[in-house]
Amino acid sequence: MRVSGRDGRAGQDVLRRVGEASVLILISLADGPKHGYALIQDIKELADVELGPGTLYGALDRLERLDLIESLPADDRRHPYRITAPGAAALRVHLDSLERVSAAGRLRLRLGGV
Amino acid sequence: MDDARAARLVDGALRCYPARWRRRHGDEAAELAALLIRDGASAGSIALSYLAGAAREWLTPRPGGRLTTAACALLIAVCALGVSAVLLSPPAPARAAITPTRGAAGGTSHVRGHAHCRSGSDGPVPDVIRALGQLPVMIWTAGHDRSC
Repeated sequence: MRVSGRDGRAGQDVLRRVGEASVLILISLADGPKHGYALIQDIKELADVELGPGTLYGALDRLERLDLIESLPADDRRHPYRITAPGAAALRVHLDSLERVSAAGRLRLRLGGV
Repeated sequence: MDDARAARLVDGALRCYPARWRRRHGDEAAELAALLIRDGASAGSIALSYLAGAAREWLTPRPGGRLTTAACALLIAVCALGVSAVLLSPPAPARAAITPTRGAAGGTSHVRGHAHCRSGSDGPVPDVIRALGQLPVMIWTAGHDRSC
């Protein structure tokens, strides 16, 4: 499956089923390209989640197949990855969706007096 | 765990990935593991993470790809089982040859190649064997446009 901002699926939350690791990687890449080690460190700081290297490469391959990220030319042995335009669009849609759910949850907590 | 042993452990886990993955990520993954171990991560947990990743890599179908390796292995195993079952099952003509027929002249046994020849109808076991023999055909029919 490839995701394009120009196709009919624009606006759909394609990240709903890709898993937390993939979303965290996209968020980490949103402010610039990073390689594997930098991604693991950044995600640990950002979300207090320690991604295993096997999980990291699995998620990177999946995001690349979906055209949400792209690999840049290797710097020494390390491949930096960059978020693509469809990747940024998909991340926006997903974060908007999370915000809506989060707002609804907070509202219900207030209404319920919990 | 000393550095050499940790490196061997991680290297062993990385060898479990498919060759195309190792060509693309192998060097970087080994370097990443060394950096994480230097930062205090345990070599065992890194190796486990790579092993789980390798299992996922083998089992995840490639987009637009053909039958996965696991499915191919299963198909080959089922084919082998089917062939073995066919070889082990008693030959039907031999049983038919010794089946007596009623109404034969003089009341004696009469040999007829086709009479009462219901292959594999003697009990449940031959039926199972016959079904196993059909499995490869069924699987092949289901995935008729695929190949390994």
